Amino acid sequence: MLAGFCVLFITSIEIAFSHPVKHYSVTYQRVSQQYAEALRARPSKAGEPVSVLMVGNSLLLDGVDVPRLQALTSGRMRIYPIFLEFTTYYDWLYALRRLFRQGARPQFVVVGLGPDSVIEDTVRTEYSPILLFDADDVLQVSSDLRLDRTATMNLLLAHWSTFWDMRTVVRAQILRRIVPNAEDLFEVVRRKRPVTPAPDAEPMATSRLRILRGLVERYGARLILLIPPPTSDSGVRQTTRAASKVGVDTLVPIDPETLSPSLYQPDAIHLNSQGATRFTSALGENLPKRIITRGGVATLPPD
Amino acid sequence: MLFDSPPYFLFLIPVVLVYWRLRRRAQNIFLLVGSYFFYAWWDARFLALMVASTTVDFLIAQRVAPAEVNPNRKHWLVFSLVLNFGILASFKYFNFFADSLADALAMLGMHGIPLPLIRIILPPGISFYTFQEVAYIVDVYKERVKPARSFVDYALFISLFPHLIAGPIQRPRHLLPQVQTDRTFDADRVFDGVLLICSGLLRKCVVADNCAILANAAFSGQLGAPNAFTVLIGTYAFAWQVYGDFSGYSDIARGSAALLGFHFMINFRQPYLSQSFQEFWRRWHVSLSTWLRDYVYIPLGGSARGAWTTTRNLLTTMILAGLWHGANWTYVVFGAIHGAVLVIERFLFGAGVKATDEPSASGAGGFCSIWAERMATFNLLCLTLVFFRSPSISSALQFLSGLRNVAWRKEYLPAFFMLSLFALPLFVVDLLLEASGQEYPFAQSPYALRTGLAAASLVILTFFSGVDPNAFIYFRF
Repeated sequence: MLAGFCVLFITSIEIAFSHPVKHYSVTYQRVSQQYAEALRARPSKAGEPVSVLMVGNSLLLDGVDVPRLQALTSGRMRIYPIFLEFTTYYDWLYALRRLFRQGARPQFVVVGLGPDSVIEDTVRTEYSPILLFDADDVLQVSSDLRLDRTATMNLLLAHWSTFWDMRTVVRAQILRRIVPNAEDLFEVVRRKRPVTPAPDAEPMATSRLRILRGLVERYGARLILLIPPPTSDSGVRQTTRAASKVGVDTLVPIDPETLSPSLYQPDAIHLNSQGATRFTSALGENLPKRIITRGGVATLPPD
Repeated sequence: MLFDSPPYFLFLIPVVLVYWRLRRRAQNIFLLVGSYFFYAWWDARFLALMVASTTVDFLIAQRVAPAEVNPNRKHWLVFSLVLNFGILASFKYFNFFADSLADALAMLGMHGIPLPLIRIILPPGISFYTFQEVAYIVDVYKERVKPARSFVDYALFISLFPHLIAGPIQRPRHLLPQVQTDRTFDADRVFDGVLLICSGLLRKCVVADNCAILANAAFSGQLGAPNAFTVLIGTYAFAWQVYGDFSGYSDIARGSAALLGFHFMINFRQPYLSQSFQEFWRRWHVSLSTWLRDYVYIPLGGSARGAWTTTRNLLTTMILAGLWHGANWTYVVFGAIHGAVLVIERFLFGAGVKATDEPSASGAGGFCSIWAERMATFNLLCLTLVFFRSPSISSALQFLSGLRNVAWRKEYLPAFFMLSLFALPLFVVDLLLEASGQEYPFAQSPYALRTGLAAASLVILTFFSGVDPNAFIYFRF
């Protein structure tokens, strides 16, 4: 009897989770819509805006005002953003592989990662497996990260099952309603301070950026590494050096040292709305120049 | 495969279903193959080591057994002990002792002396199966148990998958006869097994994994520099994390064994209700504490040879207990503190051995006294757990130094609330178990109620399981 209940329970849970998640999760809806939109990225014809796929984590989600950026670039670029919090290098390596496999053909790929995110050996276990990876990608991720079999199975389950993928998100939502001022605690627990990468991080970053560049260029696009604030000066230098060794263009639109604490949210990591305005303005000024200097097929239409 | 992960249940269910269709000989072979598969899932590289170790001890036991007078019995015993502990020491403690020697030489002004350092990976479960093998060899030598005639039976005793990676450490006299005799299907026992597994999952996934979030945040400095509140949050959260984690694992192991018709010894008996450290070690990780008592403390002389010898034996046993947990001086300090407290308790209050662990006072004053002792014991234990948790002695002392500061932050309120939310239910469960003497809550209740509770536990697991899969703490040992 208990076994029968378990089977029924698991099936019901899966059905019960799928619908609310897909319809009420802000993050799920945002990312899946952005992903679907990004699949339509195509090389532009003469006079059309250059297609730019922009991917990154919460630093870009909070730091880039995409409509403002589109306006600032006067329609010379068509930006396809996909931003998912807590993502790092491997999330986007495999997300881009899947995007390209499914037919996305942007002319430029802007990957927004801080120095520590480039060398971090993780993937996000919620949303990424179900929205950004195929099953084959999960196995590749597992191999790259040297995950044990249990962790691999967990990722595969997260890919196949909405319940398994989203259970921690649902749990956090429930706790927010039960525990008073839970968000104060969660913000502190989630916070990862930017770290100055160790000296041996540069070879790792070089290798990873080489792979990323190879992937992007295989599908006819150009890679630009966007380094958002906050980052240490040494981190920026190290990552820029690593990128230049493998011919990857790096864009640091604004010197983090010039951003005062008042432009950040209370966590001192993410830009607030004023900070986002400044960052977006700097990005709107520098990104088109970077695209022009790449030359070749991609030339921006006139203002 | 972690006990709280889907792969374990994808493995366990078919094993149980096939197992009960077989006769005993075939059951043992099937379980042995399954157990080796379970071990290889963790790390196939060390399967050969475990099989070799098992084989050697099986053969040595034949020579240690006194079937005929064998003048070399003791030599074979010593050989087995040296081999078993040598393998354990090599894998677990080689680099620790090399590093410590280098540090000691440096303190004496001898720098730059090259010492061999080998990057050795710790084979899963080696601490546990080594102790089981040693218990078997010693028991055969002392004629407490006959040597197994069947290699399959002995190998299964050592490697039965529910206890293989992290115990409970099974005694030969308890488990080997079960392996060697027929098991009969008992629906009640299987039902109990399922409910023990549910209980274990709740302890591990709900209590331990959620308390782990708070403990990690406090110890890593995310809740701010150490102060009285972060120390309270961190130590209490870690105390409930390690208890929920290990007792949960033990329940899942015992429940899994019950599905196969085996009975494993109870490993935890509401340890946080102890009124003294002596009582605590009769209630916490019972399989390890009794092993240490029977194979270390008593052979050293126990308490039979005067005060100083008793002190030496208690301290030695507890330091070894600490060191068993890991190759770090923090574990040595943890064990030494426990040893010191046990010595003090023994000489202040006597041996403290009671027929049962029933509270020792009565009446209203007795009630207050009981709870005062319980709280004092629990809080002192929590302080020792800081050394257990910290990566170094200096970081443990730095963390504890925060008790001198008082600084409130807004995230402490939700932290205390969350700690209460997940720790209090386990505390209440322990009170119920203490009062009823049952193996798991409501064990004697009607089937319908127990089924309903199991269903409710699945719902709670669905919505409250912790965030990241934390490997069972004791899998590290």
